[in-house]
Amino acid sequence: MVDMSSAESLLSQDTQINGTVGNCYSNDAKMSMRDVNVYYDQKQAINNVSLDLARHQVTALIGPSGCGKSTFLRCLNRMNDTIPICRVEGGLTLDGSDIYDKNMDPVLLRARVGMVFQKPNPFPKSIYENVAYGPKIHGLSSNKAELDEIVITSLRKAGLFEEVKDRLDAPGTSLSGGQQQRLCIARTIAVSPEVILMDEPASALDPIATAVIEELIDELKEKYTIAIVTHSMQQAARISQTTAYFHMGQLVEMGETSQIFTNPAHKLTENYITGRFG
Amino acid sequence: MNTSTLIFVIAFLALFSYWFAIQRTIKLAGGLAKVKRLTSLPRQFGTLTAFWCGLPALIVLLIWSIFETSVVHSILLSSLTQEVNQLPLDQLSLYLNDIHVIAAQITDGELIRFDEENLKHRAARYLVETQVSADWMKSGLVLLVCVCSVLFIVSRFTADFQARVKMEKIIGGILWASSGVALLTTVGIILSVLFESIQFFSAVPPLEFLFGTEWSPQIAMRSDQVGGSGAFGAIPLFAGTLLITAIAMLLSIPTGLMIAIYLSQYASERLRSIAKPMLEILAGVPTVVYGFFAALTVAPLIRDFGGWLGLSVASESALAAGLVMGIMIIPFISSLSDDAISAVPKSLKEGSLGLGATPSETIKKVLLPAAVPGIVGAILLALSRAIGETMIVVMAAGMAANLTANPLESVTTVTVQIVTLLTGDQEFDSPKTLAAFALGLMLFVTTLALNIIALKVVRKYREQYD
Repeated sequence: MVDMSSAESLLSQDTQINGTVGNCYSNDAKMSMRDVNVYYDQKQAINNVSLDLARHQVTALIGPSGCGKSTFLRCLNRMNDTIPICRVEGGLTLDGSDIYDKNMDPVLLRARVGMVFQKPNPFPKSIYENVAYGPKIHGLSSNKAELDEIVITSLRKAGLFEEVKDRLDAPGTSLSGGQQQRLCIARTIAVSPEVILMDEPASALDPIATAVIEELIDELKEKYTIAIVTHSMQQAARISQTTAYFHMGQLVEMGETSQIFTNPAHKLTENYITGRFG
Repeated sequence: MNTSTLIFVIAFLALFSYWFAIQRTIKLAGGLAKVKRLTSLPRQFGTLTAFWCGLPALIVLLIWSIFETSVVHSILLSSLTQEVNQLPLDQLSLYLNDIHVIAAQITDGELIRFDEENLKHRAARYLVETQVSADWMKSGLVLLVCVCSVLFIVSRFTADFQARVKMEKIIGGILWASSGVALLTTVGIILSVLFESIQFFSAVPPLEFLFGTEWSPQIAMRSDQVGGSGAFGAIPLFAGTLLITAIAMLLSIPTGLMIAIYLSQYASERLRSIAKPMLEILAGVPTVVYGFFAALTVAPLIRDFGGWLGLSVASESALAAGLVMGIMIIPFISSLSDDAISAVPKSLKEGSLGLGATPSETIKKVLLPAAVPGIVGAILLALSRAIGETMIVVMAAGMAANLTANPLESVTTVTVQIVTLLTGDQEFDSPKTLAAFALGLMLFVTTLALNIIALKVVRKYREQYD
């Protein structure tokens, strides 16, 4: 525990944020963000953040509450478009094409960049219908057999099929919290996205369900590029290859996960990782 | 003392006993500083005592008032001579009525000359005397009950007397009784309508009423009167109600739902904050005003338009009434559906958008299904309003009981007929008047059935999210 005055002094001395420390770029970037600024009305939530999401890797975004990591994540599939007062500036590209270009349809973008939310949010429909929802909308199947195939494959990839194969008609909300979250992951996979964004996907789950989800994320990176916001540093250390530390809307440090957690370059990162604040 | 003065006095005594009990309690505790030793606060002792002062007295007053008239009546009867008592019932009640009139004149000082020889005058004086002494007995008894119950409860005060628990029990009882009032009123309404309906059905067979296709409630008073055969087939009325309600719902459900979707999903916060209250004002316009609008503006418009198309349109058409009624109930549907759609968790909407669904797909496939219970509730509320609506139909749809499915003709509805049957001087034992109650009963059963269906639907779909 640190009282307020010493926490402030921690910030004031060698904890100035002067740009990002470490390596925030990748040679094989699936998504690239350059000088991103996000405003809610007058208030700036993200300040000049640049980073890459490396292809087929898990990138963890960590940082104290209110540091802007969720806001940043929601920029990557233009989910912030649903908030009228939110304004995004900067260059954000997916495979080199600008995702905020006026010719870019946010609907199609979201089909390529899927999202899993903090609280499991299955639709009030059956398990089958939950997974079939996306493929039906995007016309990914031409007949029932193909749709069945997509649903079963997605459920299998999400590690849920064995548990629900006898009750695909049961409502999605009848599952346990961990199963619901895997259902939401299956639902996202069913659309065959290229990137999956996860906003604290395990924060509402118990440790066993969390372990299952983490294992799943590890497998998913073989096919997808993943960005995950998490509050659990152990989780970030276990599942990610790259870690980005956010503080008050700025990207303080980014680098290989093993290096960040063993030998952080910035004082703020060290303080956060060692649990001195946050 | 008359009853209202007495109630005022009881209220004053209750207030006084509140203060009295607080003083007693403080004394009991041994000073203001030591009231913490008691199990309850002094004001809780006070409230309890005030209840003990007022409630038994009011109950006694109520019981007394219920029985006073009949007791005074029988005392008066026993004072009268044998031959008066043996009069036939209708003459006796006439005789007693005279006595009451004279008694009222005596009390008001309006009797010109008291005639000692007149039996009725003497009986009236006796009645006045009895009433005065009954009044005194009532006041005395009620005040005695007040004082005794206060003294009783105060005498039981000790340091560990559970005043708060007892007070809360009494308050609970009062709350229970209040809900009983609503329930009893409903039962009372049903019973009164049911009783008159049974009388009606003893004159007109229920089957004829329910399945008859001719409605013409005029009954010949004399045998040589022309017309007025008296046919009580309710089918044309219900058909008319159904037709007008259907037109209204056909207009209001799609419009209302689209308004709700626009306001909850597409409109800016600013527009929504202006448009929603304005729509709700529409619900507050008196239906008579809608009636003007229907009769003077919409009906001629429809007639002229029909004439232009080469159709013959009655100047009072079901279409005009239905359309205006539809406009009237749009705000019910739009406002309640808007609330229902907005209440769907934001996470569901984001989940759907996050899968690359368009806003339109999200509304159709996620938001609307999840909001079904609220929307169904809104529609059924609007439906009940439409079925029960009277004024617009009286002014715009006419009185003629036509059995037709043509919206361009004039029809009438159940509520309109109830109004026409009961307005003006009517005798309350002819089937013509009683028919209004039978219609009312049918209407009540219909709306009750709708409400039960609504509850079933809402319950079936409710637990699907969260």
